[in-house]
Amino acid sequence: MDGDSSTTDASQLGITGEYMAGSHFVLAQAQEGDEGLNDHEDGDGSKDNLREQDIYLPIANVARIMKNAIPQTGKIAKDAKECVQECVSEFISFITSEPLKLYLQKFREAMKGEKGISTVTVTEGMGEELTDETFTNPLPAGIITADGQQQNVMVYTTSYQQIPGVQQLQFS
Amino acid sequence: MSAKNMEKVEQATNRKNISLPMSRVRLIMKSSPDVSCINQDALFLTTKATELFVQHLALSSYKNGSGKETNTLSYSDLANAAEESETFQFLTDILPKKILAREYLKSLEEMEKDADNL
Repeated sequence: MDGDSSTTDASQLGITGEYMAGSHFVLAQAQEGDEGLNDHEDGDGSKDNLREQDIYLPIANVARIMKNAIPQTGKIAKDAKECVQECVSEFISFITSEPLKLYLQKFREAMKGEKGISTVTVTEGMGEELTDETFTNPLPAGIITADGQQQNVMVYTTSYQQIPGVQQLQFS
Repeated sequence: MSAKNMEKVEQATNRKNISLPMSRVRLIMKSSPDVSCINQDALFLTTKATELFVQHLALSSYKNGSGKETNTLSYSDLANAAEESETFQFLTDILPKKILAREYLKSLEEMEKDADNL
């Protein structure tokens, strides 16, 4: 797939953008991919230059998990595997952003509070059965059930210690 | 058939076995804005949860979809699951139902006709 960049390079072929409308997308992707590689070498590059393999989990792993979940004789279509790959990335982004909002909210509330707060802890668990409720609930909720055991699991933790002689900042 | 699968599923959920690369999961988590550091436990938990999610999605889609007929999990099964199940509502944007091009063009024409009539 990356090898296509040689044939679709518009500047090399001397073709204007109009005729290369479809493959212009491919050209753009190839360029971004190259930049992404360079950025990786330099360290923390811009988040926009991620290659396709960076934003998705490897399809083989995903396909294996799917195969183990459905009955033995079942098959999985190729586009279904690719699509679940995308869903998985979406899921990760989703559960990352939701607890983060809660955390920031709690953090701000805690900062407004009394002096000498020792820890700000946000406890958030994720239920095996995901429902919309889990994400819209304002209070931490949800449990991981493994073999019937229920546990609250810590996801984000910060510790805030009061340092003597340092003035507390008031956040509005 | 199901006993072996159950064993595999149990193995995956009981022990510390994870099938997905944590480094990649961290990369995806970092693509969210405002995320700077990720706790190691949080990363593991997310990876585990993602695994369970894949199992859940695959199994629900398969059950609701073809079932006994084709014995294959297809894209349309996933799209149906996204639309019908509340749990998977957040996937509706990336799992649109596929329609044939001519049907789309037909509905486009009808929309234009309505616009003209107005």
